[in-house]
Amino acid sequence: MSDIGKVRLRVPSSIKAGDVVRVRCLVIHPMERIERDKAGKIIDKKYRYIDKVTVTYLGKTVVSFDTTQNISENPFFAFTFRATDPGKLAVTFHDTHGATYEGTADIAFG
Amino acid sequence: MRSSGTRWLSLALLAVGCATAADRPDASRWTSRAIPEARGDIRTEPDGRRVALRYRGWTTHDFGRFRTYAYDDTRPEPPVQRVEMPAGLVGDPGRGRALFLNRTKGPCTGCHLVPGADVWPAGSVGPDLSTLADRKLSDAYLYQQLWDPRVVFPKTVMPPWGLQGVFTPDELVHLVAYLQTLRGPAVAESDPDRNPFTRRKPVGFGDNLDPTNNPGVLRAEAAEGLWSAAGPSGTSCAGCHPGGADKAMRGVATRYPRHVAAYGRVMAIEDFLSVHGPGTTGRPLPVESAQNVDLTMLIKMASNGLPVAVDTTSARAQAALARGRASFEKRVGERNHACADCHRPDRGASKFLGGRFLGDVTAGLTRHFPTWRTSLTDVWDLRRRFQWCMTPLGMNMLAADAVEYAELELYLTQFDNGKPMSVPGIRH
Repeated sequence: MSDIGKVRLRVPSSIKAGDVVRVRCLVIHPMERIERDKAGKIIDKKYRYIDKVTVTYLGKTVVSFDTTQNISENPFFAFTFRATDPGKLAVTFHDTHGATYEGTADIAFG
Repeated sequence: MRSSGTRWLSLALLAVGCATAADRPDASRWTSRAIPEARGDIRTEPDGRRVALRYRGWTTHDFGRFRTYAYDDTRPEPPVQRVEMPAGLVGDPGRGRALFLNRTKGPCTGCHLVPGADVWPAGSVGPDLSTLADRKLSDAYLYQQLWDPRVVFPKTVMPPWGLQGVFTPDELVHLVAYLQTLRGPAVAESDPDRNPFTRRKPVGFGDNLDPTNNPGVLRAEAAEGLWSAAGPSGTSCAGCHPGGADKAMRGVATRYPRHVAAYGRVMAIEDFLSVHGPGTTGRPLPVESAQNVDLTMLIKMASNGLPVAVDTTSARAQAALARGRASFEKRVGERNHACADCHRPDRGASKFLGGRFLGDVTAGLTRHFPTWRTSLTDVWDLRRRFQWCMTPLGMNMLAADAVEYAELELYLTQFDNGKPMSVPGIRH
C-alpha cells in the first residue's frame, strides 16, 4: 500500500461544449474493514476508510458522496456532469483519519 | 542458498555437456518450484483412494489412467474401437435428452445445438443436430458415432464417449433414441443468442490498460514495492536493475519464453523468477504465488506496446518449438482432445464451446497474459490457464512450471511475434 492516496481520473479524450461527460475515478486506499475479536465482538477503533468524496467543477461542488466501509478496497466511482465551460474538474477523497487525496482533470473543448 | 546455487550450476553444466539440441529435455532434472496446489501432485489417502492436489474449488479427481502432456508419458492414443449396438435395450428419448444436456457428462450441448429453450448455452464446434433424424441414419450407426466416431471420421474432434467410459452402453442407447426424435422443420429462433451460429460475438471488457477499468493494473503497480524492497539476502530487484522496473525491464519480456542456458530449459518469466528471485534476493517466488504473478505482470508491462520477439530460429528454439507443437497436437485425457481441436482455425477456433468463444491460435493467444479474469476477480497467468484448460478434459495437470508447459507456451507465443504486448489483459 505504498501508493495509498494515488488518484486516477479518466475523462473522455474529446469533449464538446454542453456534453454530458462520464468520469471514472479511483483511489488507492485500503478501506479498512470491521475486525472482530475471538468472541466475535467488533473491535472498537478508528477504522480508516473513505467517508466522503466531493467533486468540484469551476470551483463549485457538482456532487458529493457520503461513503461507508461497505465500499471495496481501491474504491471506484463513476458519475456524469455537463461540461459547460473549459476549466478544472477536481475529485477529492476524504478518509476518517483526516487525509485528503485529490485528482484533477482539465476539461478542454477540442 | 550458496550450496543449492552450486548444485544448479553443476546440473546445468551436466545438461549442456550431454544433451544435443534435438534431445528431449529431461523433465526429471527440474524440480518444481510452484506453490503446492500448482504442482499436479497426487496424494494417496489411507483408504487407498488417490486424490489430486489442485487449486481451491477445482476437482480433486485423479485422472491417472488417461494420458497427459508429460514427455515421459509414452502411452499411445486409445485404439479405435468398432462396436455393435447392444441388443434388447430400449432407449428412452426423455432420459436421452437429459443425458445430452447433463453438464457433468459431456455436455453434448457444449458442441451441438438441439431444440429447446432450456438448451443454454449450446456450442457450434460440432454440427447442428436440430434435424438429425431427418437424415434417416441407422441406430447402429449413431451408436458407433457416440461410442467412437473415429471409425468413420479419423480426424474428428469428438471424444470417443463409450470407449473412454464417460457414457455407459445403456446411456448411449437412450441418447440414440433421443437423437432419432430430432425431426424438422427447424423452429425459428425467438432469441438469436440461443443459436451459436447466429449468436453475437463477445466484445470484450474495454481498455485493459486503464487502471479504472482493469484491477489487474493496480495489482501489478503494487508489485513496484516488491521490486524495490530488499529480500532476506539484503539485495532487491532494483539494486541490480536500477532506474525503475519500467525502464530496466523495457523489452525484456518480449523475448520470453526462451531457452535459458544456465538452467538448461525453456523458461517463461514466471519460471525464471522462481529461481532467479531466491538466488539473488533470497526471497522465494514460487510459480503461481501472488508475488510471482504480480512481478511477472510488472516486468511484462514494461514491454507494453513493443512487438513480441521470441527466438524461433536457433537450433534449441526450433527443437523446443517442435516439441511444443507436438504437445499442441497430442490427444490427451479422458476426452482424447488436443489443444488443436479447439484452437486451430480449421477446427474449433472462433466457434462457441457452450457459451465460450474459442480463441484462434494463429491470432496469438498469449500477449495479454497474465490477465485479469472478471469472472474470478483474480489474475491468472498462462500456466494456470493451461492447467484449467486441461483439468475438465480429464487429465492430470502438470506442475505449473513444467518444461512441457514452457515449450507449449513458446509454440503459442511464436504466433504473437510482431504483435504488441498488452499486459495485463482483461477477460471473462
